[in-house]
This record gives sequence, C-alpha cells and structure tokens, in this order.
Amino acid sequence: MSTRTLILTGAVLAAGALLTACGGKIGENNAAPSSQSSGGGAASGNKNLELVVGVKNEPFYISMQCGAEAAAKSAGYTLNTQAPDKFDPTLQGPIVTALGAKKPAALLIAPTDDKTMAPQMKTIKDMGVKIIEVDTALQDTSVAASSISSDNTQGGKLAAQTIAKLTSGKTGSVLVLDTKAGTSTTAARAKGFEEELKTAAPNLKSIGIQFTDNEPAVAAQKVTAAISSTPDLIGVFATNLNTGEGAATGLRSAGKVGQVQLVGFDASPSEVEGLKNGAFQALIAQDPATIGKVGVEQAVNAIEGKSVQRNISAPLVALTKDDMTNKAEFFYKTKC
Amino acid sequence: MTAVLQAQNIVKHYGSVEALRGASFEVGSGEVVALIGDNGAGKSTLVKCLSGAEIPDSGTITIDGRQVTLDSPVTARRLGIETVYQDLAVAPDLDPAANLFLGREIRRKGLLGALGVLDKAEMRRQAAEEFTRLGVTLQSIDVPIGSLSGGQRQSVAVARSVVWASKVVFMDEPTAALGVVQREKVLDVIRRVRDEGMAVVLISHNMPEVLSVSDRVEVLRLGRRVARFTAADATLEDLVGAMTGALTQEDAA
Amino acid sequence: MSTTVDTLPTVERRSFTTRLLSANTFWIALVLLALIVVFSILAPDSFLTFFNFQQLFIETAVLLVIAVGMTFVIITGGIDLSVGSVLIFAGMISAKTMEWMSPGQDASNAGWGTILVGLVVAILGGSVWGLLNGLLIARAHIPPLIVTLGTLGAALGVASLLNDGTNVRTVPLELRDSLGFGTLEGNIPNLVVVAAIITVIFGFILHTTRFGRYTFAIGSNAEAARRAGIGVTRHLTFVYLLTGFLAGIAGFMSLAYFQSTTISGHTTDNLNAIAAVVMGGTSLFGGLGTILGTVIGVFIPAVLQKGFNIIGVQPYWQMIAVGAVLVAAVWFDQHRRRAQNKR
Repeated sequence: MSTRTLILTGAVLAAGALLTACGGKIGENNAAPSSQSSGGGAASGNKNLELVVGVKNEPFYISMQCGAEAAAKSAGYTLNTQAPDKFDPTLQGPIVTALGAKKPAALLIAPTDDKTMAPQMKTIKDMGVKIIEVDTALQDTSVAASSISSDNTQGGKLAAQTIAKLTSGKTGSVLVLDTKAGTSTTAARAKGFEEELKTAAPNLKSIGIQFTDNEPAVAAQKVTAAISSTPDLIGVFATNLNTGEGAATGLRSAGKVGQVQLVGFDASPSEVEGLKNGAFQALIAQDPATIGKVGVEQAVNAIEGKSVQRNISAPLVALTKDDMTNKAEFFYKTKC
Repeated sequence: MTAVLQAQNIVKHYGSVEALRGASFEVGSGEVVALIGDNGAGKSTLVKCLSGAEIPDSGTITIDGRQVTLDSPVTARRLGIETVYQDLAVAPDLDPAANLFLGREIRRKGLLGALGVLDKAEMRRQAAEEFTRLGVTLQSIDVPIGSLSGGQRQSVAVARSVVWASKVVFMDEPTAALGVVQREKVLDVIRRVRDEGMAVVLISHNMPEVLSVSDRVEVLRLGRRVARFTAADATLEDLVGAMTGALTQEDAA
Repeated sequence: MSTTVDTLPTVERRSFTTRLLSANTFWIALVLLALIVVFSILAPDSFLTFFNFQQLFIETAVLLVIAVGMTFVIITGGIDLSVGSVLIFAGMISAKTMEWMSPGQDASNAGWGTILVGLVVAILGGSVWGLLNGLLIARAHIPPLIVTLGTLGAALGVASLLNDGTNVRTVPLELRDSLGFGTLEGNIPNLVVVAAIITVIFGFILHTTRFGRYTFAIGSNAEAARRAGIGVTRHLTFVYLLTGFLAGIAGFMSLAYFQSTTISGHTTDNLNAIAAVVMGGTSLFGGLGTILGTVIGVFIPAVLQKGFNIIGVQPYWQMIAVGAVLVAAVWFDQHRRRAQNKR
C-alpha cells in the first residue's frame, strides 16, 4: 500500500513536471546566452518591438496583441508576439532569454511570476532594451519603464456597483467565488468587491469568499450549497472564466437562473455567449486592447526619449445584456 | 500396464546448456510415478516439456499411443494434462470455488449465460462436491483463498488440477513448505486420485515421501533417465545411489 | 487413515451476518450514513432537503461514471491517470463536431441528429484513448502509471489543438435542457438517471459475469490467470478500453451540464476517482473491490463538502477534513482486513 501510494503521489507531481517540461518549445531554437554582447543593443533606428504575453491562445492576450499591433503600425514600428504554452515562468523565461540575440528596441511583457521572471527581464534591460509591463508586473519596480494594468480591485468594486444596480435595492445575500487561495489577481477582485459592497449596496450582505480551485465543478457545488444554506441568495460574483461557467451551471441546476444575479469577470467568447443567453446578468470586462495600445505608446516614448508614465491603470467596463451591443469592442477576440 | 503418457529421447537446449539429453519417461493410468533427481538433473525442464510450457528440440511424446505436439499449456490441458505448480498459482482474493473453476467458469443457462453471467451457485455446489470427494476440508466455500492456511490453499490448487485432468496430473513439489498434518492431507488427495485411475507424476525431494506415496520411481541424472524402480522394492539407498551416479541400470534410458 | 472428523467439510456459505460484517462496503457505508446523520442534525432545514440531495446527486454524476471505470482498472492492479484529460478530449471533439455540423459554426440550436452524432463521437473519442492505453499497457508491457501519465498530457494537448486551447463557444441548448438539466417524473435529473444506469450495468458486469471474474483474477494473480488459460493481454486491453469509453460518456455528460468544454478544469478528476475507488474498499494492489463501495466512496467527499459548505465551515478546513477522512477510511479498512486475515 504505502509504496504504491508513494508512487502515486510521485506520479502526480511528476505529471505536472512532465507537462511543464514538454511545453518548452518556443525559444529553444535560438536560446543564445544573453550575457555575450552587452550594451548598445537598441541602436537608434531599431524599430522592432517584442510582445511576450502570459499564455498562448487566451482571448484576453489575443485582444491585447491586436491593440498593440495596431498601435505599433501607426507609430511606424513592427511588433512580434510570442507566448508560452502555459501561464508558467519556466516556459516564459527561455522566451525572454532568447531575445538577447534579437535585441528588440523594447520588450512588452506580461510576467507570469512577479519574482522569478525578474532576472531574465533585467538581463534584457541591461542590453539597453526598454521594458514595458502589460497586464501583470514584477514586484521589483526598477526593471520596467512603465506598467500598464487593469486595476483588479477597481474591477471588483465595479462588480459590486453592478450587482447593486441589478438587484435595485432589494435585500439579500451575495456569494463571492474566488479561484485558488493565493491567486493575487482574483483575490484583489474579490476584496474590492467585498469592500465596495458595504457602501454601494448596504442592503446586500456578503456570505464570504469561497475558493473553487479554478474548477467549474467545484464552483457549481459551492453555488448549490449556498442556495441550500442561504435561501435569500440574490447575487453571485465569479472572479474569472472557470468560476463563472461553474456558477452558471449551478444556478441552472437549481433553477435560479435570472433570480440570482450572476456577475462574471472578463469577456471571453463563451462568457459573451452566456451574457447573450441569460446565464450571466453582467460581465466585468477588462480592456486588453487598450492595455496593448498604451503599452506600445509608452514603449515608443521610452525609445525616442520622450517622457514615460510609470504606472497606468487601464479602464474596466461593466457589460449587461441591455448595453452589450453598443460595447461589442470590449468582447475579447480569438483573432484580430 | 500401458503408458498413458510416454516421452522418448527428449532433447532440450537453453543456449549452449543441454538441459535434457535424450530423456525418456512414462506413466500409466492409476499409478503414481515419482520423478526424482538432483538439482539440475532436468526434472523441471522435463515437466515443462510434458505440460506444454516448453517445446522440446527433439524427441517424441505420445498420449494413449498417439503422437502429439504440446505447443502450449492450453493444448496440454485440452489433452487432459494438468499441472500443479510449485508457486501455487492461485488467485488469493478469489474464493475456493472461483479458483477451482478459474478459466472454466460455468455460465447460466439461456440469455443471461450468453451475456456471460456466471452461475455462481452451481459452481459453489460442484466445488463443494469435488472438495468433499477429494477430502479437502475448508471452513467455508466463500472466503478468499488468501485467508486459508497454506495446506488448504495447496489442497485447493491440487484439487483444481485433479478435477480438470482426464489423464495426467503433474505435481511439482506439492508438499514443500507444508506441516506434517497438512502434508498428509495432500498425500491423501494424491492417493485418492490415483485410485480413481488417474496418472499422477510427483516431483519431490523428500525421499521417504516418494517411497510412501508412489508406485514407481524414475530417476533423472544429467538430462537422462538413469534408473527405474518399483517403489515397493526400492530402498532409500537405491534412490540416492541412482541420483548420484553410484548406481546405474543399463536398460533404463 | 484417520477416522476422526476434525473439521467437517462445511460446504455451505457463511451466514448472511458474517458476510455482511466482513464486507468492506458495509463499514464504509456506515461512515457515509454517519456523515449524513451528523449534517442532518447540524443543519436540518437546509441539509436534509430534496433539493440538496438532488444537487448532490447531479454534482457527483460525472465523477461517478469515471470512478466506475476506474474501479475495473484498479481491480486489475492498474491505474488510469488519463481519465480527466480523456473526458475533456471527448467533450471537445464532440462539441467541435456539433459546431462543424451546424450552420455558421453555431451549435446552439442544433437538433437531435447532430446531438446523437456528438454523443457517438464523444464515446469513440474516449474509447480510442482507452484502447491506446490498453495496447501500450497490455501488449507493450509499459507500466500503466507511465502510459496513462503520457496520455494524460497527450489527450489534453490534442483537445487543445482542436480549438486553439480555448473552450468551444456554443453547445446545443437542446442538449443542455435534456441531458444537462432535464428531469424525469418526480424531479429526478436525467444526468443522475444516466449515471445510475451506467453504474448498475457495470456493477452487474463486474460482479456477475465472466468478464468481471477475470478482472478480479488478473488483479489477484495475473500469472495464475494466464496459466488458467485466461487471455490476460486481451482482457487488460478491454479494461482500459472500458475506462476510456466511460470517460467518453462522462465527457459528453460534462458538456451537457457545463455547456462548456471546461478545458482548464477536470485536472483532479483522476485523483478524485482514484480516491473514491480506494475509499470504497478497492485495493490498490488489485483483486479486490466493489462498485457499491465506489459509489459510497464518491459520495463521502461530496457529502462532506456539501455539509461543510452548508454549515459554514471555513474552506481551508474542508480540505483538511476531506483529506483526513480519505486516509482514515483506508487505514481503518486495512487494519480491519489485516485483523481478519491474521491466522
């Protein structure tokens, strides 16, 4: 028994490691050591920008790429985009390191870890490449010239205001679904929501934050359990795509679609579809295209020696079924 | 006596090692023949060749006078030859009845049977009958065989071969690792089977046991048959002498 | 020959009570019952309700189907880590097929013809991975842990390739309203009915047929099974094929329920299924186990989670408690079994 269990545990750990190891394809081809040839990298006249996003094929990052490409084109620059297979610094690191050979004028990056990505980014910076952080940022604020991100706390607050509007003064309880304990972005959304709820909707009472392990199945369970234990449940705030889909399933299963207001986060195609067919009452959308656009503008400013703004908050917007057709530009794209 | 199973001039090489160099062997119905020999004499190889687990390089095997090719244990089994292996080979989590019928399950009649549904009650009933007939005592028929004592487990393994064999049963050290009482029970089973007209081949290192249970003894040495005895006339010294090469019979090979 | 009758050849079976008390399932069922009683006392108005149990059954339906397949595999002494990925693959290829068959790639209003094709594709998709697992394990003799670890990654990778790593956008509403959320007379959810039928069928196969008997025999002693003339290679291949087949059905159920291919979910389905099977008294060494035990093993963590959520226990404590119950259940079971076999 014990050996088998050990093997099992090992296997599971190994599974993660294996998957991680299998993914690292990008950047392998020219993983030149970054230390050779330092200095004078970004010569004037270098019109190449590099965008390294958090993960491949994510509509959020694709939209960001679209915004950035458009902005680069109008500024007379070319932009190349790369993405790791997973949201993982061990996959993103090599991509950044490989840029040492390419030496773009500026690197726009969504670091996948706020600490472990720092050394690679510093090396590139030391070659004279301007660093602009988009979406996420390092803890070390000395690396990037500028950081553009959505204010997740603000997004949470916007969700609270939206739910207040949707429930129009009724009293009741509200459930918050977070992903995994320790995920900073979704935690900030949940925290902002809880804070704002007190002032924006004094009639609504939060029954607390539940973690879902980012599994739709768990999110559905949490919602039906809350319906059992809290008959006056009136709203659910789901802090990302998976929790939103799970919550929608739980509400449908309990026959509470439309009675319990569901506010989701982000505007992926499947969520937009859910908003359209009534599974969601509102979505809090980020504006990745603007993040990309502003990122490129700041990069160009840095390259051309103009003034750069250190921190920029990108706007968020609440989408509801009524106004969604006017706000279609905020839907995340799967291609430009 | 006519031989049920007869082997002549069996040769078997493993690479450059010659395990059997023209060994012969025979056993008739209703007799227990002990196959003895020192370690490396070729006993196990000969049993494997005769039970289909190994295919000999040359030599002839006949059953009831007809020449046969034993290319797999399944073929041997179909021809009525069963083997009790030294390492038991029972499924410890299954009950005695399930073990007895392993690979030969009885299915229900009709549609359910066609779907593969087992007739467990019938198998239990027949198993109980067979165990009673062979004098195998068990507390109950539906506990996992792994929870039985070593002797009972061995008895079930022996019973399984005996029940399904129509001609010959090979038993490779069936009493090794058993206590005195349990050993007696297994030997009782062997005698009963013999009395029912089965040919039994016993491989054993225990000479007193060989002399007490077998009718005849055949001795292998260096891959050949070197001596044949009638158990009643043979002494311990004869057997040991034949095994070590101190005694040879010209006509034995 | 001795004439004393020391132990009479008792050919009868043990009494019903004896068999009941020595059945692993009986004790683990008591644990489940105890949990239900405790939560019912703590929260009578919200736990002991038709609604709550209805939801409990719905939410365990998909996992139950996977766990039934896992029971067969573990009884043969194997393991299948790939079920969660195979489930996603089956859902993905099914959803893509249905979108592809629909005008404008929008499967929302697809009819029954399209849905049936989707079902067949899901089942085939799951079975293909199962067959691959089986062939690699039984014929190429690669350890199941390694094979299914490989297919765990590969199946998810292929599923991701099919739709560029994102969830499909549309799932037929008809599928959602029938299999996903439809109910029979008396508010019995269709999803639960499907899971129950599958459980009963495969419980029957495991415990009454020759296929089931061989599954136990191979897990108990593969060499003995081989010598008894059982086609071990063929049988093992079938068992893994069966797990893939059931994962395919589970994938289709998940698709109907979540209306999404949940590509980043189901990451712990394999472990949840293994935990449920083991908690239900199936030995990781093979040769021993019951489908009823697996059903109970699926429900114990589900009831715990549900109950804790309802009485408002902090989520971190829930993780600790579920983990502790898993380990305790297995420890208790082994302890009892060892005591029983000590002779």
